Amino acid sequence: MLTAVVKQGASGIEVSLTRRVDAIAPAPRADEEEGDHSEGDEAHHAEVDCEFPFDTTEDAAASEYPCEEGPSPILPEAKELLWGGGAFLAFLVLMRFFLYPKLRKGMDARYAKVQDGFEQADAARAAARAEVTEYEAALATVRAEAAERVDAARATLAGEREARLAEVHAEISSKRDAAMAEARAAREAAESDVRSAVTDVTSKVLEMAIGRAPTEQVEAAVADVMNSEVRS
Amino acid sequence: MEALSILAQDAAAVADFGPIGAGIGYGLAAIGPGIGIGYIVGKSVEAMARQPESAGMVRTTMFLGVAFTEAIALIGFVVAMLVQ
Amino acid sequence: MLALEFPPLNEILRWRDLFPTFNKVALIAVAAALIGTIIFLIAARQDGSKAPKGIRNFAEMLVEFVENQIIMPAMGKSGMGWTPFLLTLFIFIYLCNLPGIIPVIYMPATARMAIPLFLAVLVWLVYVGVGLKHQGLGYFGHMIAPPGVPAALYPLIGPIEILSNLVIRPFSLAVRLFANMLAGHILLVTFSLLTEELIIDGDNIIFRVLGVLPFAMLILMTVFEVLVGFLQAYIFTILTAVYIGSSAHPEH
Repeated sequence: MLTAVVKQGASGIEVSLTRRVDAIAPAPRADEEEGDHSEGDEAHHAEVDCEFPFDTTEDAAASEYPCEEGPSPILPEAKELLWGGGAFLAFLVLMRFFLYPKLRKGMDARYAKVQDGFEQADAARAAARAEVTEYEAALATVRAEAAERVDAARATLAGEREARLAEVHAEISSKRDAAMAEARAAREAAESDVRSAVTDVTSKVLEMAIGRAPTEQVEAAVADVMNSEVRS
Repeated sequence: MEALSILAQDAAAVADFGPIGAGIGYGLAAIGPGIGIGYIVGKSVEAMARQPESAGMVRTTMFLGVAFTEAIALIGFVVAMLVQ
Repeated sequence: MLALEFPPLNEILRWRDLFPTFNKVALIAVAAALIGTIIFLIAARQDGSKAPKGIRNFAEMLVEFVENQIIMPAMGKSGMGWTPFLLTLFIFIYLCNLPGIIPVIYMPATARMAIPLFLAVLVWLVYVGVGLKHQGLGYFGHMIAPPGVPAALYPLIGPIEILSNLVIRPFSLAVRLFANMLAGHILLVTFSLLTEELIIDGDNIIFRVLGVLPFAMLILMTVFEVLVGFLQAYIFTILTAVYIGSSAHPEH
């Protein structure tokens, strides 16, 4: 048997309830302790069939709702309204004027601190960056200077080498010229020797062949031939 | 409310139909909000899947919509308790 | 034979007074406010200039959650001044929801109408006040004649807007929170009762074995209620932010 005990509004309930009590034999009762679903002497309880939760009938008798089932469960109770509202308002006032501002102040201070830290870090980073650029600029000038010096040195070196080279070249060429002149002179001497010898031989051969000394003309022709033959 | 509870008492006087009526009434009151909440949550999930970056806003709006829709079912629940 | 007697709602919702006028729901509400105060008191006492840890980290996470997930989407940057109010609202509602799933306590304070109603009325007062402060009587004018709507539709739209802004908003705000938590509480009670009935009171081995099912469901629902408790606090807060934002800047 599944019995759901129900209750209605304020007054006039007894009638329907009694009826139900009469109709359904073991009337569900809530004035008994929970879990104790004894079904005895309901005739005695028929008058005191309170559904309001009281452990004992003395409690029920002392209650404002001695033998009714109590007000609708939906209606607010004045004492709960007062206590609940009072507690909330007290909490609200405390929070609004003391606790929250204090907490907020701490939070804001910390946030400001963190913000400060951020800003300081930013400034430090900017300073470091400026220093780095400065250093880099200095480095660049130094490097340029060094490069300049190296270039100058290289230029000097190159000039010196060129001069030296030219000198050596001149020396070499002069020596070669001298050697060549010497060689030419020697060859010319040799040539003239050979030529005179050849001319002599030719004149002697001619003399022997024709019996007289060749003329100047013949000698010149021989010398020409010699010149051209020996040269080639 | 008075009329309702008188009605309920009369019904109880004849036979205890109050709880049955309350149960049926609550069941009827829950149909619409049930469908409505299904729609709201389904559409919200769709929106969140389509634009995950606006999920926070969609969730807030979804809760608001669910709260408004649910209120109707809850009124049905309260009325069911009143008339039973 | 099994007999499941579902207790009347009042039995699972109403509590005897611990002392006159102070019952369990009031205790939970006061405890929620106290726990919230203690968390933020400890957090505020810690040195804020160092990297946050422990409770302070948790509190700052909450503040950032409210700022990034609630205020930014609902109000934009101009709503940052509302952080303490919305933060308090969120924490209070969440801590009131939480006992609903804590064993032994098992009672969400928001499953009673009192706290949701109070908060909804407070929010209503706040956003109507903001509307009057930012727009003067034009706040109501905008409701009757919303900008961007053809004049012929004013008689149609106007009443709906007024009803929606002034009645339905706070009503649905309160009922949403209350009914969600009450429904969750009833579900937990139902599965607890089923488990008890089948495993403890079951006079049959089959019933006792079957009782594992509602027990598993009870655990599942508890996990689900963790989500619901958070979600309801979040939704209540973000709706508050939306309402305040729309009162301050009607064009949005």
